[in-house]
Amino acid sequence: MNLNYSDEQQMLRDQIQKFCESDYSFEKREAIIKSDNGYDKDLWKMFSELGWLSVPFKEETGGLGYGPVELTILFEEFGKVLVVEPYLSTVVISGSILDNSNFSNKSKLIGSITSGEKHISLAYIESNQTFDHSSLSTTAISDGNTLIVNGMKSLVLNGGNADHIIASVMLDGEFALVLIDQGLSGYSSNSYPTVDGQTCAEIQLENVSVPSESIIAKGEDAINLLSEAINLATLCISAESIGCMTACYLKTVEYTKERRQFDQPISNFQVLQHRMVDMFIETEMCKSLLYKAMLECDSNEPTKFKSVSGLKSQIGTAGKFVSQQAVQLHGGMGVSEELLIGHYLKKLVAIDSLFGNSSHHLNKYISS
Amino acid sequence: MEISFTEKDLQFRGQVRSWIKNDYPAHIKQKQNNGEKLSKQDIIDFHKALSLQGWMGYNWPVEYGGTGWSSTQIYIFQKEFGLAGCINILPFGVGMVGPVIYTFGSDEQKKRFLPNILNFDTWWCQGYSEPGSGSDLASLKTKALKEGDHYIVNGSKTWTTLAQHADWIFCLVRTETTEKKQEGISFILIDMKTPGVEVEPIITIDGEHEVNAVFFTDVKVPAENLIGEEGKGWTYAKFLLAHERFGIAVVGASIRQLNILKDIVAGLKNPNLERKITELEINLNALEMLELRLLSDLENGGHPGAESSILKIRGTEIQQRLTELFVEASGEYALIYPGPHGHSNNQPAGPAHAAKSVSKFLNYRKASIYGGSNEIQKNIISKYILGL
Ligand SMILES: Cc1cc2nc3c(=O)[nH]c(=O)nc-3n(C[C@H](O)[C@H](O)[C@H](O)COP(=O)(O)OP(=O)(O)OC[C@H]3O[C@@H](n4cnc5c(N)ncnc54)[C@H](O)[C@@H]3O)c2cc1C
Repeated sequence: MNLNYSDEQQMLRDQIQKFCESDYSFEKREAIIKSDNGYDKDLWKMFSELGWLSVPFKEETGGLGYGPVELTILFEEFGKVLVVEPYLSTVVISGSILDNSNFSNKSKLIGSITSGEKHISLAYIESNQTFDHSSLSTTAISDGNTLIVNGMKSLVLNGGNADHIIASVMLDGEFALVLIDQGLSGYSSNSYPTVDGQTCAEIQLENVSVPSESIIAKGEDAINLLSEAINLATLCISAESIGCMTACYLKTVEYTKERRQFDQPISNFQVLQHRMVDMFIETEMCKSLLYKAMLECDSNEPTKFKSVSGLKSQIGTAGKFVSQQAVQLHGGMGVSEELLIGHYLKKLVAIDSLFGNSSHHLNKYISS
Repeated sequence: MEISFTEKDLQFRGQVRSWIKNDYPAHIKQKQNNGEKLSKQDIIDFHKALSLQGWMGYNWPVEYGGTGWSSTQIYIFQKEFGLAGCINILPFGVGMVGPVIYTFGSDEQKKRFLPNILNFDTWWCQGYSEPGSGSDLASLKTKALKEGDHYIVNGSKTWTTLAQHADWIFCLVRTETTEKKQEGISFILIDMKTPGVEVEPIITIDGEHEVNAVFFTDVKVPAENLIGEEGKGWTYAKFLLAHERFGIAVVGASIRQLNILKDIVAGLKNPNLERKITELEINLNALEMLELRLLSDLENGGHPGAESSILKIRGTEIQQRLTELFVEASGEYALIYPGPHGHSNNQPAGPAHAAKSVSKFLNYRKASIYGGSNEIQKNIISKYILGL
């Protein structure tokens, strides 16, 4: 047994860490969030040049052939400084769907992702509140060589920047995933900022006519591609949460050692020491669940879905605890927008809401 | 034992309910129902309406223009306002500086300041906390040095709630450097328009501007604005803390939120969430009953003291838990940024309460921090009740 990173993985980690520490200051992040696109195109290009956008793709499709372990390395580091670039939607989710599909055009599309030219977003949520996305009202009707798509998609991550979306539709009554270009007539999108400083969009599809070659997959295949992608994405944001939680306890330890009240550093108060110990323990427990889930995903065990649900369920509650306590121990400073600490809380709220919250995954764990 | 209110108290409750139903400003109610943001003027209008009814001094004795209500009446009044979702009565004037002035101020000061508080002609804010002095308030450094018939004030206050709207600020300042740091503190009233007073916004994680930093540079404050004796400010501040006992548990408002939440969740078929709400409801029952026990104690000649710290701790925990469950009820739509929608004016799809829920969740992290953090409240209980 050896639960250490390989040399190659350690190198990747060092590289990302170096970037996060030296090129992603709080001020820079703030400026990126306020910019028109909500992400930094130059940084995105740099991600491509460093090969980061190629991490999860198979070597046949021009990727580095890495897997879940490398992705979690990346996301954990991203979580520490709250990187807002749309890696999750374009590279992880859309990338995974395309890479695992038999879609004819996939090499070209993946090439456009790894080169940093294009963004692709998954559009699978419609307005409901139950995390159940199998019953759809978006339809695609075959009409000769084209499909006519109608419907409305919600909470499309990075949807405002997407050159294409992968939409879930009922294709002549059957579940399917279809690639749709952003420029088509009848396609409109409305972008919103998310609580964690990213963006999502509502996308309206009104009699959008797409060529039938745009069908990525149908039936069982489509359902499997979707659940694989969401499972991987859930693993990634769980790793991101652990980055946040780690930063939360480290920054809180640092702050309480500096902050003086009653003529002493507040870190002297035992109740605060124990609170920080609890924050640390929660983080370590989540990290352990991450390892279990990540390794099962890496070797494609049938239990991987259950383990990811166990992980995500814990992340929801532990992440909230850790980030809330980080705010609490910072006192008023914790609720200030000017400090990174409150933004971890926002990130963890966003993550809990994505791909099923804590209760949802607990139920999923029970029933799997 | 007897848990019901007297006939007279029930009659009083009817009066309060009737005012809320018929006289609560309609334009404010409408905005609240639509989930719109309230303006400064709305808040003023609400307080003015309360003044008109003669209820502004709900916790004051009759001789200073207050209602002279019993503790039970004050309890009923606050509870009903909470249950009905009325705007919070701003505590800074009527709850804080008012009682300090009528208890420790000169006749001159009473005449000058009390009527304006009751008419809400003066908006007060509280200048206690400083960048270096939060939980350890007595370490405050803002200096007031006597020069002739004035004090010259230098220093800064922080986290000052709604100072951007305030006409006056009541401050704890250091008038003397003493061995025991509590002894050199004085209580002084400062007109916000005095040259040298500057207010800078602090934006909180919900994107709102509710708190401020207030800077004082050579601010010339007439000596007659000092309350009571020099060096007694700490005693007055402590008196003030003991004064606002009820209401800090915000039971009424929490019951209201719980009921709203139940309505939302009724359509969701989410047994997990329903369970959590039920647990919360039981906690809220306990808090409500605890408050009544303390009220009964007070009405029967007792002097509940540090017990009110339990109300603060549990009251804020329940408030915060409620906001968490609202977020949970928003499902995936908790993702949308609650602040002003930057890129578009359209309301996003999803449940109407979602954005507000997240915003409130973030905002209410303050509840366990301000007014003496929950850790400090536990220190109080362990020292004064458990004798540790
Ligand atoms: C939204 C908001 C509004 C506010 N409005 C006002 C206002 O209008 N006027 C005003 O004067 N102030 C206001 N405050 C300030 C508030 O009273 C202080 O934030 C509070 O007293 C805590 O002080 P601090 O922020 O400096 O935290 P610190 O005192 O630095 O505390 C940091 C952490 O250490 C803990 N801690 C400190 N000492 C101990 C101890 N002895 N034992 C155990 N734990 C300890 C605290 O509980 C906290 O978790 C407001 C604050 C907020 C957040």
